[in-house]
Amino acid sequence: MLRALFLLPIVGAVIIALLPGSNPRLIRFAALLASGAAMGLAWGLLGVFDPALAGVQLFETHVWNPRLGSAFSLGVDGFSFPMVLLGTLLTVVTILASNCITKRVKGYYALILLLESGMLGVFMARDWSLFYVFWELTLIPLFFLIDRWGSENKHRAALNFVLYTMGGSVFMLVALLLLYDANPGHSFDVASIAQGARSLSQEAQILIFLGLLIGFGVKVPIFPLHGWLPLAYVEAPSPIPILLSGILAKMGSYGLIRAAEMLPLAVQALQGWLAALGMISMIYGGVLAWHQRDLKKMVAYSSMSHMGVVLLGIATLNEAGLTGAVMQMVAHGLVAGSLFLLIGLLYERTNTRDIAEFSSLVQVMPRFAFFTVLALVAAVGFPGTAGFIAEVHVLIGGFARWSGWVIILSMSVLISAAYAFRTVGRLFTGPVREEMRLIPDLGRAEFAAVSVLASGILLVGIFPTTVLGLISASVRQLSKVFG
Amino acid sequence: MNGLLELAPQLAWLIPLLPLLAAAGIALRILSGHDKGDGAEPPSARIAIYCAGAALLLLLGLDVLALGWGVPGQVRSGIWFTSGAIVLPISFTLDALSLSIATLVAFIATLTLIFSRNYLHRELGFHRFFFGMSLFTAGMLLIVLAGNVALTFVGWELAGVSSWMLIGYAYERPTATSNALRAIVTNRIGDAGFILGISLAFIWLGTVEWPALLHANRLGTLSAGLLALGFVVAALAKSAQVPFSPWIARALEGPTPSSAIFYGALMVHAGVFLLIRMEPLLRQAPALMSLIAVLGLLTALYGYFSGLTQTDVKSALMFATTTQVGLMFIACGLGWFTLAAWHLGLHASWRAYQFLASPSYMHLMGGPTRAAPAWLHNKQRLYTAALQRFWLEQLSDWLLVRPTQQLSRDIRNLDDNVVSRLVGLPDSAVVSAFMVASGEEKNQDKVVRGSGLAGAFLEWLALKLHRFESRLLFQDGDSRLGRILARIGSYLVAVEGLLSQPRYLLLIIMATLVVIL
Repeated sequence: MLRALFLLPIVGAVIIALLPGSNPRLIRFAALLASGAAMGLAWGLLGVFDPALAGVQLFETHVWNPRLGSAFSLGVDGFSFPMVLLGTLLTVVTILASNCITKRVKGYYALILLLESGMLGVFMARDWSLFYVFWELTLIPLFFLIDRWGSENKHRAALNFVLYTMGGSVFMLVALLLLYDANPGHSFDVASIAQGARSLSQEAQILIFLGLLIGFGVKVPIFPLHGWLPLAYVEAPSPIPILLSGILAKMGSYGLIRAAEMLPLAVQALQGWLAALGMISMIYGGVLAWHQRDLKKMVAYSSMSHMGVVLLGIATLNEAGLTGAVMQMVAHGLVAGSLFLLIGLLYERTNTRDIAEFSSLVQVMPRFAFFTVLALVAAVGFPGTAGFIAEVHVLIGGFARWSGWVIILSMSVLISAAYAFRTVGRLFTGPVREEMRLIPDLGRAEFAAVSVLASGILLVGIFPTTVLGLISASVRQLSKVFG
Repeated sequence: MNGLLELAPQLAWLIPLLPLLAAAGIALRILSGHDKGDGAEPPSARIAIYCAGAALLLLLGLDVLALGWGVPGQVRSGIWFTSGAIVLPISFTLDALSLSIATLVAFIATLTLIFSRNYLHRELGFHRFFFGMSLFTAGMLLIVLAGNVALTFVGWELAGVSSWMLIGYAYERPTATSNALRAIVTNRIGDAGFILGISLAFIWLGTVEWPALLHANRLGTLSAGLLALGFVVAALAKSAQVPFSPWIARALEGPTPSSAIFYGALMVHAGVFLLIRMEPLLRQAPALMSLIAVLGLLTALYGYFSGLTQTDVKSALMFATTTQVGLMFIACGLGWFTLAAWHLGLHASWRAYQFLASPSYMHLMGGPTRAAPAWLHNKQRLYTAALQRFWLEQLSDWLLVRPTQQLSRDIRNLDDNVVSRLVGLPDSAVVSAFMVASGEEKNQDKVVRGSGLAGAFLEWLALKLHRFESRLLFQDGDSRLGRILARIGSYLVAVEGLLSQPRYLLLIIMATLVVIL
């Protein structure tokens, strides 16, 4: 089943490669069909997936390299399944929003589908060697997507992005090899490695965890490792940050959760440091987001700030905090996805992202303004939106662990309110600009894409049990590891 | 017959409800836009009149039963709400006092409504007037019939609100709105007393039912006095006794029929009714009784002297009313409650007639208004005082209004100059709207700008972090990290160049050999 889910986008990419390049509409349709089929399959698995079970489900394995002990094993649990659902959804949204790509259409859509495959692979892999392969596999399409279809500084952005991630991956690889070495079962299987890892001394665990932290932290990104973020987000073609921030950043935090599961002693020892890193990311990203006039940069930094909340939630190591972390991953996927989508659409229409250039867009583009306000409000974490549920859980978990220190989370919420409402103010006040009087509002495909994300934000916000039910069993099991 | 005797008192809740329903019906008509043109007037008036008339008929029926078979006494129709130990029933006290006064209220209200139908024909606020009148009738009936203090208070407030609405009937006139505000704010003082009384009753007695409240023997003199004091303050405010008197003169701003019913006939007597109702409680607090008598005397004198100097019909009538109500307070203070009750009923009927007839007096009068009597003329100071209405209003302005205004001004200044700046709020909504509208182009470079202390800090922090960020990243070609890397690179190139020369290669080989050997 999961194999089919993994292969579907690849098949789509191959078909697109075989199609004649002269018909962009056909290619677009094929891409939409392939990603839509993947989405249908993934969401159809909701019927098979039993949320009451904490362990890995839909597990399948094929021996790959018996001498090394690696296998092609896939499976999902309460942590990975929501990410799979989110990933397939965001891919469809990205493809819907890709109307603006007119050059080398064939390559673009094929690469996006390859990216989807790699990303789903990362979330579904139950073998660390496979995980690493998929992790690296996502880099290649992304490098080309930024390097070929990006704007002015695309080459530097793409190089920067790949170098940062590869640099992190080296540490991750070393850590994984150390784990493999320590595993008496001589296998890369997740469960087997976890067993081996838990028998290690605390010092060894900490060293290995630090290696993994650097590898995953680059993707999240955590504070000093975020150097690639502003360039890559800004220079990438406008639909790509939807995936980049919506789901690829989650690969990092997802990896961290897996690492915490595997190396409990290390995480407990580094708990305070992790929380500090999370808080620094929150404030640092928030303040820099506030400092930006470029809307895309603003959302990019705010994305970093919101991922800090995820890190803080993981660092609490209790049920509420971990639930908050996973909820924030889902919420931020939806929120960042819709914000990047909307700002990309705005940029295509106006060719500017300077916040000072916009005023009273609500009169020109009412639908756009409505959805932007909704997304910004959700980013701040207003009650009734997905962000609220996540922040409340992290607050509760953090308060149980560090009491007063969680005030920093509230500060970052305050800062995010400052820039979110500044943007809202810009959209709603002031005179209508002459040159922006004729901007078209959202088209049909765009409207569909945005409203799916917006209804997701509201659905999760108003009926949080829909997601909480999916993740609670796995979260409870993980939190028991830390007592 | 017995069945009827049982059933009829149970319908008491219908009596105040009927005018309330009329008010709701008229409000619906206004909301649904059925308030345009001549044709819309009769239905609204009819709703109000029929409902008031039905209430009157119900009351008359109850009266007949009461006359023949004795008064029903306390009737409980249900529970309003319970909260913990507090139970608030919907109960009515149907005794000789309440039934007679209620009949009077319903009677005068019905007649006044019928009178107003023609009097207010083609007035702009025709429907609004009947809405207010129906609301008032409901409130007044509730005051009189209510079986517990809380329900009385509901009626008290309904009457207060409808009085405010009708004083401000011509809301396009500034005097009307300011007078309405003045009246309702003065009445709030009385309401505060009322709430105090209710709370004390709950705390000390655990119940607010009138019979339990009035015949609570376990209260000491002081407690009984304190409990009664709250209600007495409310009564003083509603009946415009001395410290509160000025509001009633201002209340004449409303249309004449409403003046008749509110300030001539009914509402002004609500305070007297409350005192009569509280008779057993007041008898336990003799000091309070004497206070009531003294204030009543002062009011009577105030009304008498001020009335002598008035030149317009309504004001003269108003001060005459104030005098009479003051006399009733004296009677209550001296313990002659029955006398006060009779006085109330007779005065209400007579004054309602006088007020309703007052617009016609202009036509009936043969000569000019009679001047103030000669003996008053000769006493300069008293004459001035009467003309100035004993400066009561100025006194309250000086004692209460001005300090309050100054305090609010100070707080506003604090808000504008300290709190807003600290928090970073704009000075006022107007200013910020203006800035957005006009300063748009000028402030373009200033999108990233914090206001207030917190904003300034955020701005400073953002600038620092931004500098740090641009050093951290390889963004600029001349960043420090880039320069260091370039320098290291150039050194390495130089070393590489040196290594490629044979003499250094030989040197290295020899060094290696030395180390090995």
